[in-house]
Amino acid sequence: MKSGLTINKTCATKVFLSTFLILIASIAAYTFLILKHDPSFVDLNERLLPMSWQHPFGTDHLGRDMLTRILLGFQLTVGYGFLALLLAVAIGVPMGVIAGFKGGLIDRLLMRVADAFLAFPDTVVAIVLSGLLGAGIENLLLAIILVKWVNYARLARSTVVTERQKDYITMAKINGLSEWRIMLKHLFPHLIGHILVLASLDLGKIILLISSLSYIGLGAQPPAPEWGAMLNEARPYFQTVPALMIYPGLAIVTVVLFSNLLGDYLRDKFDVKKEVAE
Amino acid sequence: MTLLSVQNLTVQAGEAPLVSNISFDVQKGEWLAIIGQSGSGKSVTASAIGRLLAPNLKAQGKALYNGKDILQLGAKEMRRLRGTSISYIFQDYQGSFTPFHTIGRHFDEFLKAHFKLSKARRREMAEQALESVGLQPEMYTRYPFQLSGGQLQRSSIALALLTKPDLVIADEPTAALDSISAFKVLRLLADLQQETGCAMLFITHDLRHVRKHADQIIVIKEGAVVEKGDKQSVLDQPQHPYTRALMEASPSLSAASQLLKGDDTACLYCN
Repeated sequence: MKSGLTINKTCATKVFLSTFLILIASIAAYTFLILKHDPSFVDLNERLLPMSWQHPFGTDHLGRDMLTRILLGFQLTVGYGFLALLLAVAIGVPMGVIAGFKGGLIDRLLMRVADAFLAFPDTVVAIVLSGLLGAGIENLLLAIILVKWVNYARLARSTVVTERQKDYITMAKINGLSEWRIMLKHLFPHLIGHILVLASLDLGKIILLISSLSYIGLGAQPPAPEWGAMLNEARPYFQTVPALMIYPGLAIVTVVLFSNLLGDYLRDKFDVKKEVAE
Repeated sequence: MTLLSVQNLTVQAGEAPLVSNISFDVQKGEWLAIIGQSGSGKSVTASAIGRLLAPNLKAQGKALYNGKDILQLGAKEMRRLRGTSISYIFQDYQGSFTPFHTIGRHFDEFLKAHFKLSKARRREMAEQALESVGLQPEMYTRYPFQLSGGQLQRSSIALALLTKPDLVIADEPTAALDSISAFKVLRLLADLQQETGCAMLFITHDLRHVRKHADQIIVIKEGAVVEKGDKQSVLDQPQHPYTRALMEASPSLSAASQLLKGDDTACLYCN
């Protein structure tokens, strides 16, 4: 039997996305305007407190306010995720466009380099880099960028290769436009949709990666309020105060879910199912 | 005066020749038609002259433009030559314009790349060019998908003639149009050629286009020239059996309609 209330999937996504955007806005407002507690202020008299008006999410094992740390963790985790993503796109896309447009030796060279990077799983690269350069969020970012730029380079290249055979590119060449201009003004706009979709899907993966590597101690170092690092710090109190793990865990789940839904939404919007689906 | 002299042009894909040892001259202000069936190598010849071949194709021989070999030019000289002296008109009018740029932006970019002109002057020139091919200046702000096929092909003619080139290479410019639009576009092209005095390298498989406008004709078969000469001699006394076969495959409409009615007013292509 059909119920009167049918929920449109896109509509539900839209509702979720807009709720989330409002949430982000209020978090930003909260953390910037009325931050009540110092995220690294240690007060051993107030450790492991339950919820209260003073500490809505309670306090952790060093008496630090959990809500403050979760909210600042949002800035840290999502902020670094975005940064890694932006840098990966900024490196990968130009590489791909140049390789696809120039063709020949440059194309082969760049794509073999990309293949070489593709051969390493991101976790392995991150662990090796932290081993070589020392653990820390910067090295983690470097590792993520090293692995992720390849996807964007390949995506950009494949689109450019199909587009550059069309007459309007030949036309632009005949009209004597410079190669840079053709790449930037005539080819790049084709890519924006594809890149947005891939990037929003990637954001969730990158955030998971940052959190999981911070959890095993390779990323952000305590006392930085990074969600993965917070999970790690809360591990010994798992049985007595599970809330310490639940809050950062929930935060990660929500953000990753959001990023995936956003990616799906954009994919439907730009209708680029074929190219991005793996 | 010889504008373009192609000498022993050979284009190879790997070992297989697509075009072998083609030679011809284009005089200033002349309409030279290259005829041949699909796959005969006529488009490859045109691309080779503009150095627009796909990277896997190699061109040998010479293409002297005003005495300079185009095939040996540096990147910068080539850009200048393409922009100001040689221009192309393609068969696929749909693909000739970048889909997310307005028609006007193509004109603007083109002028900006080669001349130092004010923004207002560039727009003025573009609108004049559009008017010269019988389009309203409002087309300047339209996107390619908003124009019809004939309008797009007219725009690309306007774009090709914008910088007053000496040589226009038209690669089957009317093949994708219906016959009435094709007729109009062709007549426009002929008028503009008369007006600007540019030479025209006109590639087609359609003899009807040749009968009316061409001065010289080259017939290509399987990558080699089988016949060349001025229009009357090729059309009236074809020497090669292939040319004769081509002529027979395309009976003149005027002859046909005169046979039927003795009346040729309905015929678009009759002389």
